[in-house]
Amino acid sequence: MRKKTFAAATLLAAATLTLSACGSGTDDKSPVSVVSEESDSGKAATVLDQPFEKPDLVLTDTHGKKYDLRKETKGHPTLVYFGYTHCPDICPTTMSNIAVAKKALPKAEQNDLRVVFVTTDPGRDTPAGLGKWLKGIDPQFIGLTGDFATIQAGARSVGISVEPTKKDKDGKLVSVHGTQVIAFSPKTDSGYVLYGEDATVDDYTKDLPKLMKGANP
Amino acid sequence: MRRRSAVLTTAAALTGALALAGCSDSGSKSGSGSGSAKAELSVSGPYIPQPVSADMAAGFLTITNKGGAKDQLTSVSSEAAGQVTMHSTMGGSMQEETSFAIPAHGQLVFKSGGNHLMFEKLKRKPKQGQTVTVKLTFAKSGPLTVEMPVKSATYNPSTGH
Repeated sequence: MRKKTFAAATLLAAATLTLSACGSGTDDKSPVSVVSEESDSGKAATVLDQPFEKPDLVLTDTHGKKYDLRKETKGHPTLVYFGYTHCPDICPTTMSNIAVAKKALPKAEQNDLRVVFVTTDPGRDTPAGLGKWLKGIDPQFIGLTGDFATIQAGARSVGISVEPTKKDKDGKLVSVHGTQVIAFSPKTDSGYVLYGEDATVDDYTKDLPKLMKGANP
Repeated sequence: MRRRSAVLTTAAALTGALALAGCSDSGSKSGSGSGSAKAELSVSGPYIPQPVSADMAAGFLTITNKGGAKDQLTSVSSEAAGQVTMHSTMGGSMQEETSFAIPAHGQLVFKSGGNHLMFEKLKRKPKQGQTVTVKLTFAKSGPLTVEMPVKSATYNPSTGH
């Protein structure tokens, strides 16, 4: 009997916590992440002490052709994001923020920059579907799809955790996107800056000119 | 004497409010008979970022409850979309919810990166400058109709652009 009371109290406490967690919405912006991030620095960018190697990903681009990430982006400033197109909120917002910021760069730099969207939902994101979606954001963006295990391993190598698409209890497909954009330097080809999902157009606009040179934002 | 009764009433009201805020799970047991306190709901800051296509769009708003009783948002619908669902987000994964609690004297916030409304199978792609009419249905309060303005794809409510 005592035990039961305790259980009920715990449940109530849990319910209260859950409610306050989704009710306030003002202080819950820190994404769950395997990479430590500086918080409250007032900057969107996190410069890594230990840069990541560029993932060794060979996938299929939106034209159905083989795309070797390391080979194709070597020597180019590169932004990589792992997401999916059946995503209403963060994925299109992240890509749109980068697209708008990119337009502020000189034309030559726009052509030099590689923005790569790697799908975490290859079952639904066909090369053509991915291509159509990205064209609606920026026709220069590169979309990659392929074997999920390969994509997941590539994401993991840069500290980003994604899970395969699965069905929820109502049979709806649910996918998972990464919570960070990784910037790779044109000088070293290593991933040295991270952006969280709350990075704005202004953040990217301010930082892109530096990222173009491999400099710290 | 007068004074005393006023104090007592306040204490009773406070206890009531605390109890309500503490366990806003389903509201099935209280019904509408929980004293004179009622939810008083209003909506602020609604917007839809212009989506990439008509397949899918997100929507954000804040529901404020000035009343002393909790309520629940139980469904969202729109003539403009085949389906509107409500989601919470944890890390990079979103989860569909059948209802969201609105605490007494509290807020229910839908914002980018957190809870969001998801519009599917839109009749046409919403464009910046247009509005989408949405009906919010609650467990106790009457429904609210909200005109959600369509903003740019990169709209940030904290900066206003």
